[in-house]
Amino acid sequence: MGSSVSHAAAPPPPPSPLPPAVGLAVALPSKAEEKSEKKVDYLNLPCPVPFEEIQREALMSLKPELFEGLRFDFTKGLNQKFSLSHSVYMGSTEVPSPSSGTIKVPTAHYEFGANFLDPKLMLIGRVLTDGRLNARVKCDLTDNLTLKINAQLTNEPHFSQGMFNFDYKGKDFRAQYQMGNNAFYGANYIQSVTPHLSLGSEVFWLGHQRKSGIGFAARYNTDKMVATAQVASTGIVALCYVQKVSEKVSLASDFMYNHMTRDVTSSFGYDYILRQCRLRGKLDSSGCVAAFLEERLNMGVNFILSAEIDHRKKDYKFGFGMTVGE
Amino acid sequence: MASRASSKGKGKAARGSNEQSTARSVKKWSTWAMKKAKVITHYGFIPLIIIIGMNSEPKPQLSQLLSPV
Repeated sequence: MGSSVSHAAAPPPPPSPLPPAVGLAVALPSKAEEKSEKKVDYLNLPCPVPFEEIQREALMSLKPELFEGLRFDFTKGLNQKFSLSHSVYMGSTEVPSPSSGTIKVPTAHYEFGANFLDPKLMLIGRVLTDGRLNARVKCDLTDNLTLKINAQLTNEPHFSQGMFNFDYKGKDFRAQYQMGNNAFYGANYIQSVTPHLSLGSEVFWLGHQRKSGIGFAARYNTDKMVATAQVASTGIVALCYVQKVSEKVSLASDFMYNHMTRDVTSSFGYDYILRQCRLRGKLDSSGCVAAFLEERLNMGVNFILSAEIDHRKKDYKFGFGMTVGE
Repeated sequence: MASRASSKGKGKAARGSNEQSTARSVKKWSTWAMKKAKVITHYGFIPLIIIIGMNSEPKPQLSQLLSPV
């Protein structure tokens, strides 16, 4: 896969020789100069996106945070860097049950959070009424090395999860090493090969289940489109394509094939970023239609509507909410 | 000579079990440390963020922390 893509991105042809400049040709900019593309400098390639964000444009359009019920978020800034957040949620959540797939359980919780955002250090903590803590830390140890910690701690024993990531950003590559609980170790590496194409790969090892895996990814992006492909030894092939149709509209489509379970899913979505609102919607091959609207009522006050209709399972989820504060 | 060989063998076995017990005790101490670290993080992470935030410039007032406006 990698070799065929690199043959397609061959260097551009050299420009044609200029005619002698006479009369009007001196005043107007020379067309040949405008059309000649810069020769690709393979030693000065841009830094690629991080490996886990390789599909971020598609994920932003195709996977908005759909919810069911009422959601109210209030963020109060005390300082440029420090803010507190209060969040109330009342609705149903899906709990996987052994008998009939998933069942809906009505839940309500209040979540208190504190954020400290500094260019070098970012601390985000959220605690729920049932004692669960969600913590995220991002610390720039040096200019190129970043430490990220992600943890979900619960009161019940053996249910907590944590992950440490060390990211190194080089001139045209990024490398990451991950350590998690349950003896999870992973590493990934992504390199820019041409100004538009970057290739990456990842390996991981699960200690407790003695499982390991390797995966490869490629990302081709221009100003108007992004195409990515990922293959993993766990039997998953994921392709996605995002096209920016105009300043306000972008369309995305996504295809995923799981070789182990012979599961194929494909979805198509749109993302309208307008002056007062942002509307995202998607249509799935498993018969699921979803939409998510964020409407800006006033400075800092947003009204949210979320809808997800699953025609195959006859499951209808509608949610509404408000977000106050930045 | 047989007794020396057998004593050498027993010495190696004793050293082997010594190494095994140090590995086990290292594992026991690191598990204890991880458990304590988890409890400390669970209770202390949000207060830590609040302390760091209240000491950053410009210093916010304590009343701003508690009031809903």
